[in-house]
Amino acid sequence: MPQAHIATVGTSPVGRTDLPGRDLFSRALAEAFEGLPDPAEVVDAVYVGAQSERYENQIMQGTLLAEWAGLNNCPAERVEACAAAGALALKNAVRDVRAGVHDAVLACGVEKMTAGGTEGATNALAAAFERALEQRSGITAPSQYALLARRYLHETDATEEDLAQIAVKNHRNAAANPRAMFDHEVDVETVLESDPVAPPLKLYDCAPVSDGSAAVLVANPETVADLGTEAVEVAGVGTAANTLAVAERDLTYVEGAEVAAGRAYDEAGVEPADVDVAEVHDAFTVCEALLAEAAGFAPEGTGVETVREPGERSSGWTDVRVNTSGGLKARGHPIGATGLFQAVEAYEQLTGRAGDRQVQDADTALLVNEGGLADAHTAAHVLRRAGR
Amino acid sequence: MTEESLTGPLAPEDVTSDSLFTLPGFFDALAEGQLLAARCMDCGTHLMPPRPACYGCGSRAVEIEEQPQTGTVVSYTAVYRPPSPFADLAPVTVAVVELDSGARLAGRVTAPLEAVEIGSAVELRVRDPAEVGIDPEMHLSYEEEWPVHEFALR
Repeated sequence: MPQAHIATVGTSPVGRTDLPGRDLFSRALAEAFEGLPDPAEVVDAVYVGAQSERYENQIMQGTLLAEWAGLNNCPAERVEACAAAGALALKNAVRDVRAGVHDAVLACGVEKMTAGGTEGATNALAAAFERALEQRSGITAPSQYALLARRYLHETDATEEDLAQIAVKNHRNAAANPRAMFDHEVDVETVLESDPVAPPLKLYDCAPVSDGSAAVLVANPETVADLGTEAVEVAGVGTAANTLAVAERDLTYVEGAEVAAGRAYDEAGVEPADVDVAEVHDAFTVCEALLAEAAGFAPEGTGVETVREPGERSSGWTDVRVNTSGGLKARGHPIGATGLFQAVEAYEQLTGRAGDRQVQDADTALLVNEGGLADAHTAAHVLRRAGR
Repeated sequence: MTEESLTGPLAPEDVTSDSLFTLPGFFDALAEGQLLAARCMDCGTHLMPPRPACYGCGSRAVEIEEQPQTGTVVSYTAVYRPPSPFADLAPVTVAVVELDSGARLAGRVTAPLEAVEIGSAVELRVRDPAEVGIDPEMHLSYEEEWPVHEFALR
């Protein structure tokens, strides 16, 4: 079975931009293919992660973006599992390369969330939740996660300040990431005093509405050698779907994420303790804590310690660094592209290109991308420095 | 509908809009004041609204079970900026409620956030969405006759 490697990456700016979705993609693709042959000479297929047609009244992004890349009659399709769409595009690309179906597949994601204003984004995101009983009760993304956060704070020793510290840490990391939406640090008081969105979650507990696109080329080792780029191996893939409705969930245990990460670990032959850097889906601060536990980094109830230096964490914690990019909170969260922004951060960490946020000797990364309410869908990947 | 169609596995001809295992059947019963779940005959998991297979164990041996309409709050919050059809109701208090049977249901609570806590005792109410103040523009064609549920403190 051929190995699947990430051969090159690119992103657009993240945040509020004047570029429509297809043009954001053009930015990401231009960076990924800078100095390389034309995409038409390299790319055999395209997967596009995109959450919603509501933003730009456009489906068929597979066709559109392949066309914009100059790929004539290329196999190209959109994949969707709300915010997990980007990692699903990556998974499909990896599976195609491993199966020998294609030599090189472009995994990309795009979202133009600001097109319909805050109300448009609220309504588009609410579509990710169960319709008959929960959407018809007026729920939103923040309120679904607030139900998890409230219960987490009730069952563990964690406090609202502990959740706020996650936002503080992720803003600090983002300030060292040129790709990030936010370049400013925040203090814990700013987070705690920010406007309530869905108590106990406040504005600074929530990832922002963002425009953005990311592109990741997945290729077999021969293609990577031809391109002459530095590559990282996608060593493990795991996905899992849990229930759509919050009422059916264990509110403090994201089982689907544990299952998906476990599948990715097993495929890669690694343990949680082997992971040096992790990008986990902190759409809301509480998610980072829940995912640190589900990924096997943290004992139950101690997930908020992602903010501490490895030597200062509770017994049973690993030494992983979490969300060095700034996470969804501060790097930004252009929904369908987020899973690929996570892959871009891991690529930079594992190839020593992470600048001021570089984790020394990082050689194994975990990506956990979720869609819907928390683990309604989880797509996890283990990435490894190539040649190990 | 026949007695047999109250338990799974369902035959294809059982899956009609008057089956209690479909959303129209569930909401027709709710409009009559009955809250229904499917109950797995193998592992006991409650499934609400009813559906043909158990998420807990995969069994299709599921049966319809009427649920109690009282329970307690497991978690709660308030939606300060709800989706536009609910704008007139803001802030909307919502909760996950564990019914006295152990089944869980999320929904609006007709009390301000400050009046609710984990463990609060609540009871179900069945309402006409128009009376509640939900914009009828929200409804899909097949939802127009469906009631909505809410919880009141007791």
